[in-house]
Amino acid sequence: MRRALADRLRAWAARRHGRDSLPIKINRRRIYILPTRFGIMLAFLLVAMLVAGLNYNSNLGLAFGFLMASIALVTMHHCNRNLLGLQVDVTAEVDAFAGGEASFEFVLKNDSNVDRRDVEIRCLGADGIRSVAARSSESVPVAVPVPQRGIIRIAQFELRTRYPFGWFHAWTYIQGSLAAYVAPLPRGARTLPSVAGSGSSHRSEARGDEDFAGLRAYEPGVPLKHMAWKVLARGGEAAVRSYTGLAALPEWLEWSALEGENTETRLSQLCLWVLESESAHRIYGLRLPGKEIAPGRGAAHRFACLRALAVFGIAEPPRTAGTP
Amino acid sequence: MNSKTGVNSRTGVNSRAVTYDQLAGISACFGLALLAHLGSLPAWVFGAAAVSGGIRLARARRGRPAPPRGVRLLVAALAVALLYLQFRTFNGLSAGTALLVLVAGLKLLETETQRDIYIITLCIYFLSVAALLESTSFWLLAYLTGVCWLTTATLLRLTSTRPLPDWRSSLRYAGRLLGQALPLTLALWILFPRFAGPLWHIPDDGHVAGSGLSDSMNPGDIDQLVLSDEVAFRVHFAAAAPPPQERYWRGPVLHNFDGRTWRRASSMTQRPPPLQPLGPAYEYTVSLEPHQHRWLFALDWPSRWNLPDAGLSGDYTLLQRDPVSRPIDLTATSYTRVQETEPLSNRLRRLDTQTMPIHYPRTMQLAQTLRSAHPDDADYIRAVLALFAQQPYYYTLTPPRLTGSTVDGFLFDTKRGFCEHYASAFAVLMRAAGIPARVVTGYQGGTFNRFADYWIVRQSDAHAWDEVWIDGRGWLRVDPTTAIAPERIERGADGALSADEPLAGRWQYRLRWFADARLRLDALKQLWRERILFFDQQSQQKLLEWLHIPEPDGQKLVLLLGAALTLVLCWLTWTVRREVDSAPKDALLRAYARLCAKLAAVGVPRRLHEGAEDYADRVGRDRPDLGPAVSALCRHYSRLRYAAAPTRITVTQFDAAVRAFRPALKRRDSPASAGS
Repeated sequence: MRRALADRLRAWAARRHGRDSLPIKINRRRIYILPTRFGIMLAFLLVAMLVAGLNYNSNLGLAFGFLMASIALVTMHHCNRNLLGLQVDVTAEVDAFAGGEASFEFVLKNDSNVDRRDVEIRCLGADGIRSVAARSSESVPVAVPVPQRGIIRIAQFELRTRYPFGWFHAWTYIQGSLAAYVAPLPRGARTLPSVAGSGSSHRSEARGDEDFAGLRAYEPGVPLKHMAWKVLARGGEAAVRSYTGLAALPEWLEWSALEGENTETRLSQLCLWVLESESAHRIYGLRLPGKEIAPGRGAAHRFACLRALAVFGIAEPPRTAGTP
Repeated sequence: MNSKTGVNSRTGVNSRAVTYDQLAGISACFGLALLAHLGSLPAWVFGAAAVSGGIRLARARRGRPAPPRGVRLLVAALAVALLYLQFRTFNGLSAGTALLVLVAGLKLLETETQRDIYIITLCIYFLSVAALLESTSFWLLAYLTGVCWLTTATLLRLTSTRPLPDWRSSLRYAGRLLGQALPLTLALWILFPRFAGPLWHIPDDGHVAGSGLSDSMNPGDIDQLVLSDEVAFRVHFAAAAPPPQERYWRGPVLHNFDGRTWRRASSMTQRPPPLQPLGPAYEYTVSLEPHQHRWLFALDWPSRWNLPDAGLSGDYTLLQRDPVSRPIDLTATSYTRVQETEPLSNRLRRLDTQTMPIHYPRTMQLAQTLRSAHPDDADYIRAVLALFAQQPYYYTLTPPRLTGSTVDGFLFDTKRGFCEHYASAFAVLMRAAGIPARVVTGYQGGTFNRFADYWIVRQSDAHAWDEVWIDGRGWLRVDPTTAIAPERIERGADGALSADEPLAGRWQYRLRWFADARLRLDALKQLWRERILFFDQQSQQKLLEWLHIPEPDGQKLVLLLGAALTLVLCWLTWTVRREVDSAPKDALLRAYARLCAKLAAVGVPRRLHEGAEDYADRVGRDRPDLGPAVSALCRHYSRLRYAAAPTRITVTQFDAAVRAFRPALKRRDSPASAGS
């Protein structure tokens, strides 16, 4: 009953505010506020104070009762203000593997002169809570459990606070579409295939023989020193320089090498290989039916591979109404 | 912070276990709130609260949980049973407050989670109100506001997640909150409609001992009273005050004398005989302090008053239906010189000529001797007064103790006494001669507070005098003290007593600055009483009149309250939100921010790393239609911001240009931000 009501409220908020593009600054129109259970108890107490003050004709009792009522009202404003003007952004999640958690990194930026305490982010049943000091920002990791491989989409998440005193509960819904690619669980018994029989790992250890190979689009997680600052400075899109080791021969992680297994097992094995190749600093490519990722290395490359494994065989699913 | 605590945070924050620190903080607040009830509740209730708090704290200190449920229930049942045995009810202020204290104390004993602490904070808030309901003290209000501040700061530390805000910043935050709440409190307090009477009958606790004059008079009673510096009432005269020899404040009238004690008559319910005024009328307001008796002190002789449930008894005492247990204001009109037109009823004549010769044989003899020399009533009275004046009688606060017949002993042996000795002896002498006489107790005189135009009447102004019946003239006031110490009437007891008498507050009369400071303080007290304690329906009507609102009534008051609340809430919203307003102060930056916001609204937001001209270039590429305008504006901005040389355009002009700039929405696709 309560849950159904909450769902309808979310759907209504989604219709009312439409899609939001992140980063978003929370304005007053989208903050909702209601008393909590303790707020309602306090309200009853305030009525009792008023009745007692009037009945005993006591101006001092009334004064104290009115003071408490005013404190409650001011508290309501403070609770609302705790979210007002806060900027919310999400940095793309990092690794997410089926059966684990997708860790969304929310960034709360507070450019006002007041501290924001105990701001809670709820998203697909998971949450994180942080205080953001005045003129600073904090990142809030929210680990959303992901049972299955594929794309997890979050159409809506919620920011809420009960600060101060827990008498009121202010919240806002944000319809920012976040997506995380959930790679298969890295698992498998086979050893990493090697190129031409001989291990090639030692070659790429030496950084000196890396050569500039071209520019790729910026992906979060890339080391800053690989950023193509000059391109950015010329007014272009953020880009990343990619390098290849001259001596390193690419090694191909092949779907076809895993004949006889079922799809998920194959994907799990490939996923494990991707991770192993990356941690061994090899140069590797991925071949899936209908998809080939050219050999490369580095966080962005690894991410591209994992992403290909995540969405393999999955049609781009319709947008699901994610419930925080 | 820890996502595991937050997972079920709908209840999570509240079911978090409390720490020793939190328990200690809330116990301290509870203790401070209890202090306000000291003396009005049975001691064992405090004991029970203290013990249960102590036990819980001791256990928490060793990291142990609350005592088992069975123990808690047993203790609670015992405490409530004991409470019922003591009060026989849970209704009424004392019983209700005691119950609340027990509930909060026992809740402290079983406190495990933060939810329990919420209940205790609510109890603390309500205990504060309960303490104020029958109080009139400014200091108590100030103290409890302080307790509220502390409790609120404690609550803040209870409900916040870690790291907890430190005490100083918690107190500062709670203080700011209180400050912001004050205007709203004031508006509500002034304009919230008051009712004429209580909503329902308040059960009277009725266990408070009275103070001031009582309904009997023993020798020595008034001497004791005169030692007290306490204020009995304050009087404000609408016009000039009557001269001192007419400032007699009438209290209980005593008729029955058993040789030692004067007592009130049991039935004085008949209507008082009408009086014919002889002098001017005085209109005044008596601000009476509670004394737990039914009589009110009015200037002799009252003819009109404003309290609906007060009436005159047959001997002209103004009586209220209920004892005066709270401060009340009596506005009345009195005539200080009257004459009675009806003859004395036989019943009263019998009552007031009663003598008991066995208790004062020598006095009876003296009366007979004098009476035979002065057959005329007026002559006889003068003769008795002359006796007091000529014989070596002394006016003193410390007369020798009298045993046995107090009248004979005083008149013939000790010859030293205070007003009650003279009043008593005079009445007996009158009655012995067949003249109806009665003793009136009350107050005489008072101190004028020149700082606020009112008179202070203290217990030290307590006095006793006589009334005698003269046929054709009615009851006539005779104050035998005037015969022996006329200064008492003119200048108060201080003027009449010798310097070594232990009169209350006497040394202050020597220190003028101290007396002045005291008067100023008293003026403040009176102001507090008039403006705060007695703020009522009438005061609200006067306020409306003062605001020139025609035909003030309750409805207009509510409208005014609504308007005031709207205003104050607007102010509150503004003042609270102002702090989050991150708009730059600089006019140029503000104008630039407006430009960026306008461009962001059409789908080309400025990136954080872009300077003004880079941004303009990108806008030019993305939206060629806006390019030239944006480029010009951004160039102006750069110049205004960075150029050393004077620029062609001023900040104001730039701002106007930005305001006039209206970029059209993008046509290509529907941007995400504009979708709905």
